[in-house]
Amino acid sequence: MANPVTAVPEARPLLDEAAVRELSQRLGENEALLERRLEALRVFADTALPDRVQHLWRYSDPSRLLPSAILGAAGPAAAAEVPELPEGGAVILLRAGAPPLVRLSDAAEKMGLRVAALELDGDAADRLGTTVPAAHGFFEALNGAAWSAGLSLEVPPKARLEGPIRIVVPAAAGSSIPRLLVRIGELAEATVVEEHAGGTEESYVTSVTEIEAGPGAHVRHMLLQSWGAGVAGHLTTRARLDRDADLATIVVSFGGSRVKMDLGAVLDGPGARSELVGFVLGHDRQHMDHHTVHSHRSGRTWSNIDFKVALTGYARSAYTGVIRIDEEAGATEAYQENRNLLLSETCRADTIPELEILTDDVQCTHGATVAPLDEEMVFYLESRGIPREQAERLIVRGFLEKTLSRVPEAVRPQVVEVVEERLSHFLGGHR
Amino acid sequence: MRATDREIESLNQDYLEKYGFHDAEEYLLKAPRGLNHEVVEMISRYKNEPEWMREFRHRSLDIFLSKPMPKWGDQEALGEIDFDNIYYYLKPKGQQTKDWNEVPEKIKQTFDRLGIPEAERKFLAGVTAQYESEVVYHSIRGDLEKMGVIFCDMDTGLREHEEIVKKYFGTVIPPADNKFSALNSATWSGGSFIYVPPNTKVDIPLQAYFRINAENMGQFERTLIIADEGASVHYIEGCTAPVYSTDSLHAAVVELIALKGAHIRYSTIQNWSTNVFNLVTKRAKAYEDAVVEWVDGNLGSKLTMKYPAILLVGERAHGEVLSVAFAGSGQHQDAGAKMIHAAPNTTSRIISKSISKGTGRSSYRGLVKMTKGAVNCKTHVECDALLIGERSRSDTYPTMEIAEDDVSVEHEARVSKLADEQIFYLQSRGISEDQARLMIVNGFIEPFVRELPMEYAVELNRLIELEMEGSVG
Repeated sequence: MANPVTAVPEARPLLDEAAVRELSQRLGENEALLERRLEALRVFADTALPDRVQHLWRYSDPSRLLPSAILGAAGPAAAAEVPELPEGGAVILLRAGAPPLVRLSDAAEKMGLRVAALELDGDAADRLGTTVPAAHGFFEALNGAAWSAGLSLEVPPKARLEGPIRIVVPAAAGSSIPRLLVRIGELAEATVVEEHAGGTEESYVTSVTEIEAGPGAHVRHMLLQSWGAGVAGHLTTRARLDRDADLATIVVSFGGSRVKMDLGAVLDGPGARSELVGFVLGHDRQHMDHHTVHSHRSGRTWSNIDFKVALTGYARSAYTGVIRIDEEAGATEAYQENRNLLLSETCRADTIPELEILTDDVQCTHGATVAPLDEEMVFYLESRGIPREQAERLIVRGFLEKTLSRVPEAVRPQVVEVVEERLSHFLGGHR
Repeated sequence: MRATDREIESLNQDYLEKYGFHDAEEYLLKAPRGLNHEVVEMISRYKNEPEWMREFRHRSLDIFLSKPMPKWGDQEALGEIDFDNIYYYLKPKGQQTKDWNEVPEKIKQTFDRLGIPEAERKFLAGVTAQYESEVVYHSIRGDLEKMGVIFCDMDTGLREHEEIVKKYFGTVIPPADNKFSALNSATWSGGSFIYVPPNTKVDIPLQAYFRINAENMGQFERTLIIADEGASVHYIEGCTAPVYSTDSLHAAVVELIALKGAHIRYSTIQNWSTNVFNLVTKRAKAYEDAVVEWVDGNLGSKLTMKYPAILLVGERAHGEVLSVAFAGSGQHQDAGAKMIHAAPNTTSRIISKSISKGTGRSSYRGLVKMTKGAVNCKTHVECDALLIGERSRSDTYPTMEIAEDDVSVEHEARVSKLADEQIFYLQSRGISEDQARLMIVNGFIEPFVRELPMEYAVELNRLIELEMEGSVG
């Protein structure tokens, strides 16, 4: 008996070839990049809006993350302050409708850090879409065809950058479609801070970041999502790790109103290591949906995920995580942990930590918990004379502390500030 | 060819000698292949069922025909099911009997090989031996009858205790629950019906053996167990099946109802031959202070999809699922558990152990749900997987949906292979590698085995031993 085909939902934004060609021409791209866009457009045309039967979409309505118009409706380039240049690093402001604003420290310049608008990087077409192809999904195909704020970043082999590379991506009114291509050369070391900020209830973001880490490279990737209230956004990041490459991903997500993220790393060479730590803070009526993937394609690889969620108000979080270990990836270790802290009676947390293991030579564990504040801990602190409010604040800080300590210095103060502010709201009978 | 490859290829080729056997078929009535309203009408007419059941079957058939196949799970294997090539009803020769001597010789031989008379001599209460779609042998010990316990096959239950059946039938698993429960609701035949009156404790486990013995025959048992307030009962179901050349479908529906303060334990060991699709819906409803336990072992079949569920609808109800799955080469054990906490102070525990060997694949698919208002609930989920052979596969798909803050939810999973150092240690004590592997596997499933009655534990250990034979890689 054949399965009936699910009808393609109607709420699908229009994107045609003429518009894509026009965009490409406006950006001054070469023929190869235009070809990539048209390929993605063909995939997009054949891709239905995700069916909510698919478990990764069980908790979020894809149509609510989509603007009615993808191209042509974008407002003027979002005004944003260029953050301070971190010592020994670089700062980049990435907006649609304007070339990326770049400031490099002397050290970064000397080391040969290459930063360019993606549309003007002559070699980009060969690598674009190799880590996140258009076939990845609906939003990735959309991005591949219609990205309008592109950045190409390359850290040359063996270079060691002391300061972070800070990339600020403000959300514009209407639709923002950023695309980041990051390459870290063999044995190079770098910290990349990707910060999605700003925006209002009229903002829709569909972003894709591809990271390639060469053999033995050390990469720290901080993803900070601090959108304004009302923003709807879909972020996809994938890192492909070559032999002995080492990636640390730090995710902090607390902004926006409807947020979905698809984060992951592909361990594609023997000896590769990937660690992902992160936390989500949800308040009011925020809808937060985060997905992590560690895909082990090579042997002797290692990965770990420590993902935390703390919710207040009517916030809702869904976390889905997958560890996938291929047949060829023997002698592999993979760990995954998801902890959810429920700080109000009206919030809701769903968690699906998954394992798909296709070979036997592995060590693999995962764990997930959902619980309110531990009353015993509160009681213990109160018994030491600490007022209840302060005790609660201490416990939540403790819950987040391990991840907070991993946040790069350049953005840590602003992250701590938000955490403190949220905690003070939570205090004083906000439950 | 490497030793592991040889082992993978030879696995289950000797199923016949190991535990498969096949007797010639003898039937009084065999419905034509395929399913339509005429077949359903025929089944209902033949069984002389009341009007409401006839309508229930027809309604369920409409639901079955309108529902799509599940879009999740092992799509490839599910796609192989050909609903039009299945016999939906067979009536075996011989009338229902209460005396062992009256059971036809052929069927007796089958049961002899399953060891039923042995078991009965020991301490079994009653044997409802399901041969084909109808119960042929059935005995209830006198003291059970004196206690007012009803233990019979589902067809008899419907005939003799219609008011109880009508009250509970299809209330825990409605036909529209899923495609296979709709199929069962339309075509069910046989299965067990148990009613335990208030404050009655059945001290000895009630057992039924199930068998399938016809090629291309679907088996659609329907089991309904009701433990009235303060009652307790342990029901055991065990299956083995002979070897077939073409696929066979098994889609049972099992409903358990534990009223206030009642206790039901339902134990299963299934060892279908590796061409059987075992797509079973099992669900229990636990009222105030009730306890329901599913103890579930899955060894055979080509594809098993089975997620015993417990709806904790009364305060302080407790649910447990304890399961073991063994997937040999070519098999997919897609099993799991569901716990729905719909009342305050309810607690649950899920322990799942799976072993994948050769090219076998085992999946844990589970759901823990805490609804709004289900305060002060606790659940603990533990999944352990053991992988034997580099082409084996293990998946874990747990889902936790939590809409209440005053709860505690814990989930853990571990996946590992047979540890070389453990084998080495045992070998250094003079134990052969084969023996060492077997000991480790038996140790791995020990928490499950110790929950089984003794003769089942012995049988399970023997089955594991057969599965592990020649597994030195």
